[in-house]
Amino acid sequence: MSDFDGGRGRSGGKDRDKEMGEKGGRRTFFRRRRVCKFCVEKIDYISYKDVKVLAPFIPERGKIQPRRISGVCATHQRALQNAIKRARQIALVPYTTD
Amino acid sequence: MSTSRQYELVYLTPPDTSEDALGELHKQVQAVVDRFSGSIDRTENWGRRKLAYEINHQREATYVLEVINGPGAMTAELDRRLRVLDTVIRHMIVRVDEDLASAERAKTRRKEDMAKRRTRRGLPPEPTESELHRRREESDDFDGMGDGPYRGGGGDR
Repeated sequence: MSDFDGGRGRSGGKDRDKEMGEKGGRRTFFRRRRVCKFCVEKIDYISYKDVKVLAPFIPERGKIQPRRISGVCATHQRALQNAIKRARQIALVPYTTD
Repeated sequence: MSTSRQYELVYLTPPDTSEDALGELHKQVQAVVDRFSGSIDRTENWGRRKLAYEINHQREATYVLEVINGPGAMTAELDRRLRVLDTVIRHMIVRVDEDLASAERAKTRRKEDMAKRRTRRGLPPEPTESELHRRREESDDFDGMGDGPYRGGGGDR
């Protein structure tokens, strides 16, 4: 009798463990939270003169990195886009590279 | 009188341009600005820089930045003049007062909001150094705690 109970208890426990394991598995898929670099560092004005600020958002090809990849917020992406386009005009930043 | 606005003028000259020629160029810009009763706030010479792409078969150029106050008609005149000059291979005039002002506003608003929130909670308006340190530690703890209960609960059963 007591054995039987114990067995059921254990099997129940196993099931729950499995469930937990699955949940744990899903949790390990946790994607790094994307945060806007400019919001975090509280940069209000993105200047076209600072190539150092713009450079991380210009991949090898010279295109402007989309915000779905960089995680920049809409407001700052707009400002960033203007800054990069201005920097391109005065050859601080490339239009394209081949 | 027309309203005065702030502009940034950047122009590029060939790398072999002499100091005299640069001075001459600056004088010409100054003349145009004066004619429109504007003023030059400051002048920065960035020196020779590598270009991101070739302009007129040049790989380098001397950059000069001028921060100018003046009316909009002045920029049109500057633009016209600079386009004609052979010593300027590229130029750009950008209005900056609005962007800078809005950035300043955002900064002050953020500061005020923080001060308001903090005084409501009975704290001094500015966070102290020890507080900042504690906050950093707490946020670290929180990340750890997020996983903790789950794993602990699973292990006990």
